[in-house]
Amino acid sequence: MTFSSKLIEKAVEAFASLPGIGRKTALRLVLHLLKQDKSTTEQFANALVSMREGIRECRICFNLADEETCQICADKRRDRSLVCVVENIRDLMAIEETGQFRGLYHVLGGVISPIEGVGPGDLNIDALLERLQGDEVREVIMAISPTIEGETTIYYLSKKLQPLGVQLSAIARGVSFGGDLEYADELTLGRSIVARVPYIGQ
Amino acid sequence: MHLSSIKLTHFKNYGQQSLDLSPRLNCFTGLNGMGKTNLLDAVHYLCLCKSHTGLSDKNLIRQGDSFFRLEGVFETDAGRHKIASKFATGQRKEIERDGVAFTRLIDYIGLFPVVMIAPDDLSLVQDGSEERRRFLDSTLSQVTPDYLHNLLIYNALLKQRNALLKKFAEDRTFDASLLEAIDRQMPAPAAVLFEQRQAFSARFRPLFQQYYSEISGDREQVDAIFESAMSEKTLSALLAANIEKDRMLQRTSAGPHRDDLQLLLDERPVKKFASQGQLKSFLLALRLAQYELLRQEKQQAPILLLDDIFDKLDEQRVRQLIALIIGRQFGQIFITDTQRGRLEEIVSSFIGDYKIFEVENGSI
Repeated sequence: MTFSSKLIEKAVEAFASLPGIGRKTALRLVLHLLKQDKSTTEQFANALVSMREGIRECRICFNLADEETCQICADKRRDRSLVCVVENIRDLMAIEETGQFRGLYHVLGGVISPIEGVGPGDLNIDALLERLQGDEVREVIMAISPTIEGETTIYYLSKKLQPLGVQLSAIARGVSFGGDLEYADELTLGRSIVARVPYIGQ
Repeated sequence: MHLSSIKLTHFKNYGQQSLDLSPRLNCFTGLNGMGKTNLLDAVHYLCLCKSHTGLSDKNLIRQGDSFFRLEGVFETDAGRHKIASKFATGQRKEIERDGVAFTRLIDYIGLFPVVMIAPDDLSLVQDGSEERRRFLDSTLSQVTPDYLHNLLIYNALLKQRNALLKKFAEDRTFDASLLEAIDRQMPAPAAVLFEQRQAFSARFRPLFQQYYSEISGDREQVDAIFESAMSEKTLSALLAANIEKDRMLQRTSAGPHRDDLQLLLDERPVKKFASQGQLKSFLLALRLAQYELLRQEKQQAPILLLDDIFDKLDEQRVRQLIALIIGRQFGQIFITDTQRGRLEEIVSSFIGDYKIFEVENGSI
């Protein structure tokens, strides 16, 4: 792709450096911006710059925040006796999207993986232990992906949390909701049979 | 089950090559270095998503190109399926059936069983235990997806454990709960590997002995005995017993990753006491027994790849091997040789149709 303008070329390169965006899409976005008022682009650029400048880590849960504490931790209506431990911010957002959880979060910032040089010291584990020192928190829910590294992290966390006398739980694994049994992969299905739950009809 | 056509693109020394194949016997002749073995390897790759040579995917791409693609049409009792396998540098390999991609390799491996016999490949008999574990793994992975799944999990855990032991040594620290977090996940997959390897070996042994005596015609006693530290202790007990040693070595000293299939000739290790001819008989017997077990387990004849057997084997063994192949229920066969005349003379004794392809510099 050749451009008659260096300015356009630079803008296209900038968009194309983002994940999932190729050069053709990048060009379309740039041409779209050119069709709009100048102020639209200004607002767009400003939004990005001030986001990058202003964004912080929540001092309590390590979620993204505008202030010292994030909106979730600052929300007085949320149940402060429940803490859900997640690997990263995307997982936090996924759980938030469900609308099923009204407690607080704790973002670990990764999972334990010696191969990649990630040990417990690289994660926000000490901060979690400190958070649990008071008696405000009643239950810690570990919402971590059921991979090898996830399992390692869950077990390690449980060892560290047990002495604190807080109730520990992990998210359920199994057949996806609205899914057909025959299409569930056999590992998931096998596990669901082994870890079946008592039926509570309502 | 057989492969009715194959198409290679940028695979090893091939540019573009399409072939219609015989359901029974396909012969490839040509000089050395022209690409006969590469063609067999393409069939191997289509069946198992990996090269017989152990080369990594990126080394299978023709020099100067950035990807390779293999396509094949398999005819089975259940119908015909078009399989396509593609690998591009820096990307994950893809395998699809009738245009639908498999999300996990373990759903594919074993659909089209295959066995390769390359007499040059004496490493299986002569080298360390790793080659024999690869043999066990390759066979059992084709038999049950469960085996391959547990093998992948076990290997991933082992890597993490060894990396952790190394890290402990480097930092001069030790964290028992961190090691335990990994250790407690290992016994379950290890037990599956042990049980399936043991059951396999029990059935494999008599078959192997029978094939050996048929091929060699000799009276020497041969054996293939499965050896595993888990015959004595569970993996949990092994890990606990070796912890000090493991910390010192910075790797895991005992477990299924050290299993072996001990090969014996008159009760002595074959690699030290066997002649060249006996080694080759061992190799053939191992592979034929592997073929027979796969045939029984899959209830269909695997594809058989015979690479360069005429040059590398003496006439008596070749004749025995051919007699065995004709005498039993073999499926589709691919065979290579440098001399067209010799190959034609031998295969004309086959019943049914066959095709001969002339291979020259990566084209046919």
